[in-house]
Amino acid sequence: MSNANNLTYESVQIGDALGPVEFYLSKDQVRAYAKTCGMWTPRFTDDEAARKEGLPGMITPGNMSLAILSKLVTDWAGTSGARIVRMGTTYRQPVLPDHTLTLQGFVTHKNESDRTAEMDIWIESEEGDRLVIGTATVHFPR
Amino acid sequence: MTVDYDPALIGRVFETTEPVPVTAEQIAAFCAAINETNPIFTDEAAAKAGPFGGIVAPPSFAVTFRNGRHFFEHIPRYGKQGFDAGKDVEFVTPIRPGDAITLNSHVKEIYEKTGRTGSMVFVIVRSTLTNQKGEVVAHVDHRFMNRP
Amino acid sequence: MSTTLDLHSHSEASEDSRAPLEAYLNWLKLRRAERPVDGVVLTEHRQFNKDADYRALEDKFGILVLKASEVETDYGHVLVFGVNDEMTRRFDFANVHLPAQEVIDEVARMGGVAIPCHPGRPNVGLCEHYAKKPPLENVIAVEVLNGGSRKGEDERSVELARSRGYRSIGGSDSHLVSLIGLCATRFEAEIRTIEDLVRELKSGEYAPVDFRPRRKPVPHATPVEVKQA
Repeated sequence: MSNANNLTYESVQIGDALGPVEFYLSKDQVRAYAKTCGMWTPRFTDDEAARKEGLPGMITPGNMSLAILSKLVTDWAGTSGARIVRMGTTYRQPVLPDHTLTLQGFVTHKNESDRTAEMDIWIESEEGDRLVIGTATVHFPR
Repeated sequence: MTVDYDPALIGRVFETTEPVPVTAEQIAAFCAAINETNPIFTDEAAAKAGPFGGIVAPPSFAVTFRNGRHFFEHIPRYGKQGFDAGKDVEFVTPIRPGDAITLNSHVKEIYEKTGRTGSMVFVIVRSTLTNQKGEVVAHVDHRFMNRP
Repeated sequence: MSTTLDLHSHSEASEDSRAPLEAYLNWLKLRRAERPVDGVVLTEHRQFNKDADYRALEDKFGILVLKASEVETDYGHVLVFGVNDEMTRRFDFANVHLPAQEVIDEVARMGGVAIPCHPGRPNVGLCEHYAKKPPLENVIAVEVLNGGSRKGEDERSVELARSRGYRSIGGSDSHLVSLIGLCATRFEAEIRTIEDLVRELKSGEYAPVDFRPRRKPVPHATPVEVKQA
């Protein structure tokens, strides 16, 4: 496979943007994730049951938010061979499905000695609140 | 102010799970659930020519492996409610179809702070994933937030 | 000559941030046109890094770096500027239940200034505590502009400052590199040291400044099914 998007350690610049990507997260997609990943519990699958737990409605599992942000980075890396070697997430507010989410990131620094780039990544609500924030480290092969 | 816990808990491995086999179908179902379309995760022929020489699971698949029955016996609970507050993951070796994944887990850290929802105690549990060859696949730090 | 400082930021020394100071300073240099700040104050959670020396980085980027702390009290979180040995001996900064009134009075007596941050935030802000307990004495300023605020929180803070006659500061409360400097405080005087900052906070002229870009609103979604791959 060719390096389709020509992403290399040298080509990546501090300040480069990942996204913004807007997408609609449906309740069915959250249920599909919960089912596949053995997380079929009421707070991730059913509005009524989630409200009984004091939540505003069914919420997206933290692991799925992590997967959504990880995909923002792997989509950016494409087929270049660049690989996520570390990622951290903080779940600040519940991510409610049936809303449009905005995913965004920025390359914030690079480390020549191990050919890695560090980036900020987050999930934003329609109101502009950062619901999930994180950072990722991507390694570029020679 | 210090949180009350047995210091001997920190660092001691409390659980080693049975190996969990990973199938191509599971990886495909996971990709479908997150709308993954990158050929290195979804297309065997394209993946073969790609950077990993075959299909690998998307990195976030690594956090779907669970600790077993000893988990809640060894994780101190502070208060009534427990939440997943975040994760820190070091991805070491990609997961491939046919792998069998084992988790080894220990409590890394316990600390208290205050936030919008009140006083919170954080318990950090580190799970190290290894495959059937004994290679480390990932280190997953789970940040559990407890509140009264 | 005026000085604009981001008075509230967290580097990797704080347990919930991974942002290296150098990356913060480089980002400010890169975004200078949009975020014209002259310096940052590191307000690490529940600690003070007495021995950290940032002079080499200050020189490299031409940006002032000052050290302070964000402590946790029975009236919410408080920024402490001008931390010295006497203060760190007097208070255990790791204690998340410090007595706010003592912090404010003792820090002032020991030559610093303690400023409650994000007062409009539930539980960790002054407003909620004022609704249940007597107000604190000797508060001179509060943070009314915080980069981590949710809708309504800064508005509550502004109202508190107005009704109590507190002065106002701003800070990004950044935990991510790319969010540094988005909110700050503009001082009329020149500030070069932590002593200058404490003096100006107590008796100088200053106001919060907001460098956040106006966000175009995302329309509320109409439910359409996302096709499964």
